[in-house]
Amino acid sequence: MKSLKYITLGCLLILGSASCKKYLDINTDPNNPNNQSVLVQNRLPWIEHYYMYSSGVTNFRTSCQAGIFYAIAAAQNTFSTSWQCSNANSTTPYQTWFVATSSNVVDMYNTAQKQGAYHYMAAANVFHALGFMQMLDVYGEMPYTEAATGNPSPKPDDGKTIFNGCMAKLNEAISLFSKTQETGAPALSAGDLINKGNINKWIKLCWGLKARYMLKLSKKSDLYNADSILYCLSQGPQSIADNIVEPSFNNSTVTDYLIGDPVVTNGNWNYAGYGSNQRISQFYYNLLTNMKNAGVTDPRMTKIVPAYMSNVKLDASGKVNSYTWTRSIGVDSYGPATRLLKAGSPTSITTPTYATANANIKYTIANATDRAAFIAAITAAGKTFTTSGNDVTVTYPAGSMYINSTNYVLAGDTIYVNMRSNSLATSGNAAQPATDVNWYVNAAAYSAGVVGSTGSFQIRPVSDYEILTYHEMCFIKAEVYMRKSDNVNAYTAYRAGIQAHLDMMQAKLTEWQGSYGTTNPDMKPMNQSDITAYLSSNAVAQSAGALTMSDIMMQKYVAMGCSIENWNDMRRFNFSAGNIGGYGVVYPGYDRGPLFTGTAQLTGASKTDPKYWMRRWALPPVYEIQYNSINTLALNPHATDVNIWCMPIWWDCATDDEYYGYLK
Amino acid sequence: MRKLLYLTCLSIGLLLSFACLAQERTITGRVMSNVDNKPMTGVSVTVKGKDVATQTNANGNFSIIASTGQILQFSYVGYTINETTIGSSNSLEITLTSLQTQLGEVVVTALGIKKERKALGYSVTDLSAQELMKNKNTNVINSLAGKVPGVNITQFSGSAGAGASITIRGGNSTSESRQNQPLFVIDGIIYDNSTSVPGNTGTDGLSRSNTTYSNRIMDVNPEDVESLSVLKGAAAAALYGSRAADGVVIITTKKGAAGAVTVNFNSKMSTSWANKLPEAQTGFGRGSYATNGVFSDLNSYDSWGQKLTGSDPTYDNIGEFFQNGVIYDNNINVSGGTNNGSFYLSGSNFKQTGIVPKTGYEKTTFRLNGEQKYGRLTLTANLAYSIADIERTLTTAGLYGGGGNGAMGATYSWPQTLDMKNYINPDGTQYRPFAGTLPLENDKDNPYWIINQDELTSKTKRITGGISANYKITSWWDVTARLGYDQYTTSDYTYIAPGSAVPPLYQNGRLSKDLLDYTFLTTTVLSNFHKKFKDFDTHLMLGTTSEDTKTSVQNHWGYNFITAGTISFNNINTSNKFFTDGTSQKRLVGAYGEVGISYKNIAFITATGRNDWSSTLPIENWSYFYPSVSGSLVFTELLPRSTILSFGKVRASWAQVGKDANVYATNTYVNPPYIIGGFTAVGNQWAAGNPIIKPEIQSSWEVGGEFRFLNGRINLDYTYYNSQTKNQIAQPRLAQSGGFIFSSLNTGSVINKGMEIALSGKVISKKDFGWDATLNYSYNKGRLGTFLPGVAYFYPTDAQFGTVKAASIPNGGFFLGMTGSPYLRELDSKGVEIPNGRYQVDPTTGLYKVNANNPVVGNREPDFIGGFNNTFRYKKFVLSFLLDIRKGGDVYNGTEYAMVVNGLSKLTLQDDRQTVTVSGVNSVTGAEFTQTYNANQSYTIGSTTVAGTNMIQRYWANYAANSYYFITSVNWLKLRSLSLTYDFTGFFKNQNVIKGISAMAVGTNLFTWTNYKGMDPEVSAAGGTGGSGSTGIDYLGVPAVTSFTFGINITF
Repeated sequence: MKSLKYITLGCLLILGSASCKKYLDINTDPNNPNNQSVLVQNRLPWIEHYYMYSSGVTNFRTSCQAGIFYAIAAAQNTFSTSWQCSNANSTTPYQTWFVATSSNVVDMYNTAQKQGAYHYMAAANVFHALGFMQMLDVYGEMPYTEAATGNPSPKPDDGKTIFNGCMAKLNEAISLFSKTQETGAPALSAGDLINKGNINKWIKLCWGLKARYMLKLSKKSDLYNADSILYCLSQGPQSIADNIVEPSFNNSTVTDYLIGDPVVTNGNWNYAGYGSNQRISQFYYNLLTNMKNAGVTDPRMTKIVPAYMSNVKLDASGKVNSYTWTRSIGVDSYGPATRLLKAGSPTSITTPTYATANANIKYTIANATDRAAFIAAITAAGKTFTTSGNDVTVTYPAGSMYINSTNYVLAGDTIYVNMRSNSLATSGNAAQPATDVNWYVNAAAYSAGVVGSTGSFQIRPVSDYEILTYHEMCFIKAEVYMRKSDNVNAYTAYRAGIQAHLDMMQAKLTEWQGSYGTTNPDMKPMNQSDITAYLSSNAVAQSAGALTMSDIMMQKYVAMGCSIENWNDMRRFNFSAGNIGGYGVVYPGYDRGPLFTGTAQLTGASKTDPKYWMRRWALPPVYEIQYNSINTLALNPHATDVNIWCMPIWWDCATDDEYYGYLK
Repeated sequence: MRKLLYLTCLSIGLLLSFACLAQERTITGRVMSNVDNKPMTGVSVTVKGKDVATQTNANGNFSIIASTGQILQFSYVGYTINETTIGSSNSLEITLTSLQTQLGEVVVTALGIKKERKALGYSVTDLSAQELMKNKNTNVINSLAGKVPGVNITQFSGSAGAGASITIRGGNSTSESRQNQPLFVIDGIIYDNSTSVPGNTGTDGLSRSNTTYSNRIMDVNPEDVESLSVLKGAAAAALYGSRAADGVVIITTKKGAAGAVTVNFNSKMSTSWANKLPEAQTGFGRGSYATNGVFSDLNSYDSWGQKLTGSDPTYDNIGEFFQNGVIYDNNINVSGGTNNGSFYLSGSNFKQTGIVPKTGYEKTTFRLNGEQKYGRLTLTANLAYSIADIERTLTTAGLYGGGGNGAMGATYSWPQTLDMKNYINPDGTQYRPFAGTLPLENDKDNPYWIINQDELTSKTKRITGGISANYKITSWWDVTARLGYDQYTTSDYTYIAPGSAVPPLYQNGRLSKDLLDYTFLTTTVLSNFHKKFKDFDTHLMLGTTSEDTKTSVQNHWGYNFITAGTISFNNINTSNKFFTDGTSQKRLVGAYGEVGISYKNIAFITATGRNDWSSTLPIENWSYFYPSVSGSLVFTELLPRSTILSFGKVRASWAQVGKDANVYATNTYVNPPYIIGGFTAVGNQWAAGNPIIKPEIQSSWEVGGEFRFLNGRINLDYTYYNSQTKNQIAQPRLAQSGGFIFSSLNTGSVINKGMEIALSGKVISKKDFGWDATLNYSYNKGRLGTFLPGVAYFYPTDAQFGTVKAASIPNGGFFLGMTGSPYLRELDSKGVEIPNGRYQVDPTTGLYKVNANNPVVGNREPDFIGGFNNTFRYKKFVLSFLLDIRKGGDVYNGTEYAMVVNGLSKLTLQDDRQTVTVSGVNSVTGAEFTQTYNANQSYTIGSTTVAGTNMIQRYWANYAANSYYFITSVNWLKLRSLSLTYDFTGFFKNQNVIKGISAMAVGTNLFTWTNYKGMDPEVSAAGGTGGSGSTGIDYLGVPAVTSFTFGINITF
């Protein structure tokens, strides 16, 4: 009885004391560090990776708009072919920047500030500018001053505010990079995947970005300042050694927390070269094979346009005995689009199958003309076939890639080689080593050694990710001088730009040839004789007097390739409207094609109407438009209009009045 | 485990042999009324389960032949039935309790404190074991549907092992990570009822909507439940403090009774079938028409193809996919006791095969309850063990990142011209209709492949137990100490077979194992003081509680099996194997007290207070206080006695309770590091913490009354309540430009108002015939009050399907709202849409213009719900049926939406797909616009020529976009259960072994009369989602089932 009282009392006391602070102070996740304790040198590689990832998807999708790629996937096809722009494109660039990157930029800046790690503060500023400027380029308006800090209903800002904010951040970065860090602050080299701590390269990056951004103002007579741009260029990269690129790898299968994509690979590859959906567009293909109708093939063509193995003969053990490389052609989505129209669908280019055994496909072709043309084509291709009435039966021998469809329209689609490269994390071929990044249709094709695609220079998993390059600087310089009517300096810069790009590629190809080049001929250096011949051909302007703005911009287009800057440039020149300055049509051949269905999205009636073209993207339909609808519509009541896609953004307008007129 | 089984059998055997020793003899006695303490004439006295009966004479005396251990039943109209077990004595004194004074009835309230019903200032509904067993469901909360006013039950799906959710008086928290389900307390110990998803979409495709999940109250064996009390309002639950905001369900399990040992065995068998399937059209084949009218069926699973002729084979893929489900349910329990102790031991096995082949659910439970008295000390111990296994399948899109569809999604879209049963090639690979032209990763898995080749299981083992000691220090003071433990592990196993339509990396097979371990430890010490001072009765309770909850989740996954046929991590290269580890722990300490005073059984007043300290809140906010006050007045005590209104009571209460934050919500955490080029990369997770978070606070009041008419023949209970929950802790998906997907907020309020009415009565009460009926009615109106400025909608994102999203709408909008994409109607001169005006037609598309701003399109909350529960007794037959009623509340038929999109819906057969007409006003000019599209013509849309066949497809895509076409304000009348029981005990005369035997037949969900056109309006596409949940959204789920059960029940 008595003891029980004591026990009860004792229990109460224990409980009482247990309720002390120590018992309850357990609300810190033991498995995950929190954002207060992350080292800046671990934060920077994260930011560098996710910025690349975000701009990789942006580069890819804007390249579909710019005419670099043709895409089968419905969303991107609306950018490359039908121009019936789909907001399914809008989410990933936004999410990968805002969610995966932006809050880290803010946190890194704040942590670095506490430590006096000025170089990390400066790096945070650079990525702030890169990221938000990309958002501005794409979306026009979105939260900026209230963004990235955990406020879940931030108010958006207009394009002018964002642009000026990014420029201010770059100026601050230049001064911060020039400071000596406080004692104890980690060296930039400890966390800098891109420049390995080379401060000078970072400063050049800042100046180069300023030049790139100030060029965006070319439509604005009051703000465009040629001499300022030239000054920035003089402080920016001066040779290909100053190129700012992010290295990429094929040494891990780890996938990321947000999208589930491989982590170490190139950001362009993650989108443009990851799946089987991309082909080269005929617009881009023509520039590489017949620039200015000069009839000269660009030495870079075979490095950019992929090839596959055809005429494969297998040996007794089922391995490739002989084959020929067949180079892809471009998908004609802007020209007559004969092939696409014949199948009746903008997405109809079909991915090939690998024949493990001889495969017979019977095509029934009722139309006699078509049948004759088809027979002529397969005869020319050396195929074995039989005919019977309307039926043509073709035998695809073991080891070949063919289209497994009885629709004869699709039978030739093997010529549209997809842009895909394999990585360790995505190939599905367990045996494929890290040094072989060719795409194989499947494990059987890999086992036989039948290459499905050699891939493309900029969009392999191991490609360098080009953040800012010397060749871009040269082309900016050429354009600025051209606008100053200084053709002599423009010409020098133009030639230097072409040379710089060729040099950069050659250096990378030389680096690749020892390992990747053994399985992939397109990862070997270009022939110097081809380069020399090309540079002296009519594909390239041969004198200052002959140089046109179109020459500059088309060479820049070829060199930039998978980059948002092509679409940015095209907007500045109103695509092929030919109504900018006296430069005429700068991008001849770029136009709406016969499969155009974007009448609701692009409401301009004529080419000189700004709304004739794709000028921005809708905001992400869910993550911004719906979740932040009140704030979004308060700034831009047209944010949800179907034709938001043709509304020029701030730097794409000649005046603020024009811009704010759109926002009314 | 097997040992325990042997022990059980052994003890049953022993006990049976004892039972046979009893002998018949004459028992005499007298029956008195509790009202006036006078003898009662004409009371019927029967030996339970036997044909032996008599009645009391004018002096209240009776005499009857019976033996020790048998039960005597005493019944009289207007009085509760008394059952007395015959012991050693030959003479009995029985007092029957008038129903009129049944308000003296004791109910279990917060912390297990028993109180007289008339003393309560708030509404409590309690259900007996008998009531729960009428339509026994292995998930005890399913047996509550329609029986308790104010309680809403939603079944997750018709698949075996699928859980259900329960909300009381609406939801109080907006965010999907915040549960609105009540706290469950079993024998004084909090019992976890979460619906955990240990896997994730990234590693194994598991999310709430993709497969089958149980809610953990399913681990309880319903046969063990003695009674169940629903504490609805904050005042009733206030003593539970931080966990009281959503109400409390208190379950008391069975105890042994003093007297002979009783063995009860019952066995049931059921068969179940889908009560309704979606209908697919068989008029048109596979493929689709391009803009220029060229037909193609290459790689197409769509059914926009050519008209089928009689010679084209079609297959009833949907109808043939489902099978009849079977349930075997066996239960045994042994109980007994003496004056000082009792025991109850039970075991059960429930085995179910689902209507989807290769799915099932099996549950085995054991329970031991014991009680022993030593003088003033009473010790009670409970121990329960359960094993619950689900075999399940992916139902909708599973593996993240390409392919990996689910079985149901594929079944409801498989073209009827393809034989779905043809799923495998002779070499064991998947038969794919477009092998060759469609890369595997872009293909769709055949449902038969998914159910036969993939393997998904979820296995839970759970042990719960408690020990409590009660010591009566004096007649007016006692102390109780209790230690409780609840622990379970759930192991999920997900195997995706090689050759499935998943990204290339996983095409050689993928395996994932998730292990969730939940441990809960609680201690309670309570001290009760109870003292009478003349006409005043006072009580004081003081107590303290500590709770420690720890959850750990481990996830292992890998891909690419090295050798075929061995499904093991050992058969995967180290570089392809991954492991993650997560732990969360929270602690809570509470101290509380209750003080009450009553006057002469007329007026009662009680006040409670509780202070909690929760580890989940920042230190400056982690202590908070919850008060409540309640009172009741039995006004009939002040009036002259009346037989019309024989009892009347009014009651009122007010309380403030709350909810603490989710664990670790105060910090922003970072992801595990990546190694890139030799550098270590670390960055923020997608959820932002909030270091200054405060607890949610709910203030609520309720008023009500209880009225008994005609000496208790008719009873009425009425409640009106109002609650407001402020400082909403939410981690909503809002603008990603904030830098995160989720950000922790502490803002806004949720308001619930509603009414509950229960009317019950003994309509007929004769010796051989009786009819008892209960009718209940309730409604709740849930609204989201003020919220974060700039936020128009608050979405629980696990509940977004088709064109609609579950959403709560700030500033007075629906808590259970839905947003969607309706057609725009014509505008008036001010630019405002005219209600029911003509639709706008967009001249650039030639189709109706869709409102892209996601307006509110519905409210999923019913106008009212109700139940009509009836029991008829005729001699030895008992017939019960329960009708469940619902009026209003929107349901979105996302399954039909999906079938319109893929061309399988019968709606798309309109005019034989030859013509469609768009009629409305031009969205640009406002002029009248009518256009008919014929299949054999072409049209200029914008600057493009579009074939009529393609235009008709576009018309249906446009049709699907209008959410309103798929939203119905649903009314239903469900015959939720119909059961017939017959008591055979009388057949077994002159023996002492069998004390009772009965058989029953039960039909569940036999009929549903509803205006809903889809499968079943009682749906929840993503079961267990918090916030406004996913009720009212029907999307590619396993159909609800109808079942028929036959069972026998034997008592020894």
